Amino acid sequence: MKTRDRILHTSLALFNEESEASTTTIDIANEMDISPGNLYYHFKGKDQIISELFQQYEQAINHTLTAPIERPLSIDRGGAEKNWYYLYVVLEEMYQYRFLYHNLENILQRYPDIKRGFKRLMQLKRAALYSICQTLLEQEVIDARDQQLLGLADNMVLSLTFWFSYEALLHGRRAPQITIHQGVLQLMTMVAPYLGDDELNFYRDCESIYINMIAETE
Amino acid sequence: MSDDKTKVTDKASEIAKNIWLAGVGAYGKAVEEAQGRLEKAMEPPKLFRDLVKAGTALEEEARDTTASARHSVEERINRVRENFHNQRPARIEDLTALHKKVDHLTRKVDKLSKALTAQSAAKKAKLVATPARRAAGTRTSANKPKSPPAKAARKTATTAKTTAFKKAPTPSKRKA
Repeated sequence: MKTRDRILHTSLALFNEESEASTTTIDIANEMDISPGNLYYHFKGKDQIISELFQQYEQAINHTLTAPIERPLSIDRGGAEKNWYYLYVVLEEMYQYRFLYHNLENILQRYPDIKRGFKRLMQLKRAALYSICQTLLEQEVIDARDQQLLGLADNMVLSLTFWFSYEALLHGRRAPQITIHQGVLQLMTMVAPYLGDDELNFYRDCESIYINMIAETE
Repeated sequence: MSDDKTKVTDKASEIAKNIWLAGVGAYGKAVEEAQGRLEKAMEPPKLFRDLVKAGTALEEEARDTTASARHSVEERINRVRENFHNQRPARIEDLTALHKKVDHLTRKVDKLSKALTAQSAAKKAKLVATPARRAAGTRTSANKPKSPPAKAARKTATTAKTTAFKKAPTPSKRKA
């Protein structure tokens, strides 16, 4: 791995584990066992590192979020579960750059560029989840009125965006698979009232898996 | 009158939806980029052919990335699905399959245990026959014939002693 890539990699790990605010470029250089001068040669400061990491994230999640907008993930009612698995994919991707979400307000205040990008991302999330809900409505998986559908999509984006900080406040540090799985379960809880009996299977499985996961950690 | 009311609410929800979607419509980085390109296009045009070339290259690039992005999303969905199926609890289909397997196994176990009981019955019959004979043999060879001669010997010895004792004094008495 090139030094530049290693810097980004180490920074991301430190931001995620220790928090972005308390990590300095000196910490990053120390962690990598390189001189601060060497780091400075590649990045002129933490701002540059963060904006590059955000660009990476934006590119990755943009691809993921545009997929259901361009074409429905499921072809018919039988394939509806694909949409639920998709929620895992989105949450996993967000988890990789969770430092943004853990300290969102603070980061957006300090980095105006990221704020602009993040606003765009929020709208893309809304569009993606609305597309999914619309498809599910067309395929008669869920039964809702248009206005409810918009509300549902917004509620899902809200939970998705603040899930990591909410969960950390409530439970402290937990295993990534529990955080991600409970996030999906939380989103499914919002969809569940609109689901028919056939489609509730996934929700029930999701619940049982969660109970097992918690039992295993205790 | 109620017709008017529904018309009003329909219109209201239509407006709300448009507002909502307008927010969504503002997301695209593509929109920004397109605007940027449009502004650049306002600059004095270069060679027309170059512009066309750049345009087709951009279009192809866009098509490639969306296709590969789609593929990677589908791939990741499949991976998650597999993982999920490994962790989820049994469903009715799984249970009926399991029932069939259990029934099959029960039949097999029944067969085996029947065969086993038949085998062990045969063995028991053999086992019953051998200890009886052995017990009978020890009784006849050790107890019965050994003890009577011993008793007989003891008896003869005592009788001999007594006879000797009885006999002995007489001659000594006789001698004395």
